[in-house]
Amino acid sequence: MSENFKPVTLNFGPQHPAAHGVLRLLVQLEGEVVNKAEPHIGLLHRGTEKLIEQKTYTQAIPYFDRLDYVSPMCQEHAFALAVENLLNIEAPKRAQYIRVMFAEVTRILNHLLNIPAFAMDIGAATPMLWAFEEREKMLEFHEAVSGARFHAAYFRPGGVHQDLPENLLEKMKKYFTNFPKFIDTLEELLTENRIFKQRSVDIGILKKDDAKRLSCSGPVLRASGVAWDLRKSQPYDVYEDLDFDIPVGKTGDTYDRYLVRMEEMRESVKIILQCIENIPEGPVMVENNKITPPKRSEMKNSMEAIIHHFKLFTEGYRVPEGITYKSVEAPKGEFGVVLISDGSSKPYRCKLRAPGFVHLQALHFLSKGHQLADVPSILGSLDIVFGEVDR
Amino acid sequence: MSPNILQKYSTGNFHFPIKSGIDNILVNKDSILEVTQKIKEDEDLLYDQLIDITVTDNMLSKSSYSNERFTLIYSFLSLKFNKRLFIFTNISEDNLDINSITQIFESADWFERECYDLFGINFVNHPNLQRIMNDYNFQGHPLRKDFPLTGYEEVRYDENLKKVVYEPVTLKQEFRDFDSESPWEGMKETIKEELEKK
Repeated sequence: MSENFKPVTLNFGPQHPAAHGVLRLLVQLEGEVVNKAEPHIGLLHRGTEKLIEQKTYTQAIPYFDRLDYVSPMCQEHAFALAVENLLNIEAPKRAQYIRVMFAEVTRILNHLLNIPAFAMDIGAATPMLWAFEEREKMLEFHEAVSGARFHAAYFRPGGVHQDLPENLLEKMKKYFTNFPKFIDTLEELLTENRIFKQRSVDIGILKKDDAKRLSCSGPVLRASGVAWDLRKSQPYDVYEDLDFDIPVGKTGDTYDRYLVRMEEMRESVKIILQCIENIPEGPVMVENNKITPPKRSEMKNSMEAIIHHFKLFTEGYRVPEGITYKSVEAPKGEFGVVLISDGSSKPYRCKLRAPGFVHLQALHFLSKGHQLADVPSILGSLDIVFGEVDR
Repeated sequence: MSPNILQKYSTGNFHFPIKSGIDNILVNKDSILEVTQKIKEDEDLLYDQLIDITVTDNMLSKSSYSNERFTLIYSFLSLKFNKRLFIFTNISEDNLDINSITQIFESADWFERECYDLFGINFVNHPNLQRIMNDYNFQGHPLRKDFPLTGYEEVRYDENLKKVVYEPVTLKQEFRDFDSESPWEGMKETIKEELEKK
């Protein structure tokens, strides 16, 4: 390289289709090689943590859907677990099964967005169209239980909002028995695709030690060869009773991260089918009207039920003093909630630990020395969604 | 894993109920570097992953678990022993300095920037202590309890000036802050007074 060569600084984003949202990336280039990649985040910062402090525990739930908006239910799960922990209650078994089942539906939904978006970034357009058709079918299950396609607000502290509608389990069973066939066709398009492999194999290699050092979690950590999954190591709800495997990668490049996600979808299908098989009958909410609202039918002829309903939707329930940390294996990694209660009906502090925030931090390390065209590939494989990064 | 090893580093007990069975210690803020280094390298602990750094503002807290304004909460995970650890550190309002642990845990970088941005904690020796969530020229630290929910400034695009302008916040309707916390408590007091009179 000649002496008078000056590095070029390039503004990547905030409005760029491959930036997966509002990411402003300052890339310092030497020719086409990335010297430094500095993410500037916060363009989608909505002050979720501050807003939650002003709301009762029930009112706080919808904010969790709007964090990582492609995997809403998993985040509600973390919050529900944290509040249950402070209240010292446990959701009934049926509710736990429903929660696990829908957490896995959400995981498939998330991966079905991430994989084709990643493929699109590096040149394949078809998977996007195919996956969106399947996503739409799965979102119907979301809609059937909660009434909303995305912003479900379905997992509540103490269980789930309402019981499954009739015939839903049969429909889900039919759909998910056939679903692995779709994964096969998706794999046919991508896994051995020459262009796809050229753009992803040996790009953005994250070795085992680096992944640990950079606090990575979820598929990113597993692709680097660390067999770590909170569903196995620190099981919550009924994951303990279910039989599933944890796919682990070898080299930790973007291609491995894709493979791990692909395999995770198959495991999720296994979990969903087991849940459908084993789900018990019973209530779906803790039956304590000091915490959960009474049934509509009860309110027609019970004064006490009306009072409970009124108190729960004005003041809300009070949560005993304490600090807790509960985390779930969200599709993107470890999503945790640090919840501090001072004994009132509003959270005193609610810190959200988002996996994407940590992964984006590793972007500079991963893209250094690569070409500019590889940056979208790395970014896509990290599975960044700005709702949770910026909060 | 024995709690004794942890107690060695602790400088006191944290008087606040910690649920979910996570080990926790309270350390002096001057020894944070030393302690994090040790828990990372100690063969019996191996807390090699930094999960989170967060702050809580104790200004309005009804419970007196800390006499200082801010409490920093470091959250660690040991992949080998499958254990979690909380480290609490108190920081007073007069001196917001604390040593940055970025040289020990690289991923602390953005967590510390976030704490600086939202609470104003000053991490000494941090490589790049800038705002991360808020606007480039933002004033104040929004997650502090004395920062109003609506903020001080709002932005809009001015068609005449052809640029984004910053203006003081004007609310289109009154800020609704319902204090619905147990109106019944007050009633009980009145009834008690009346009963005592009789």
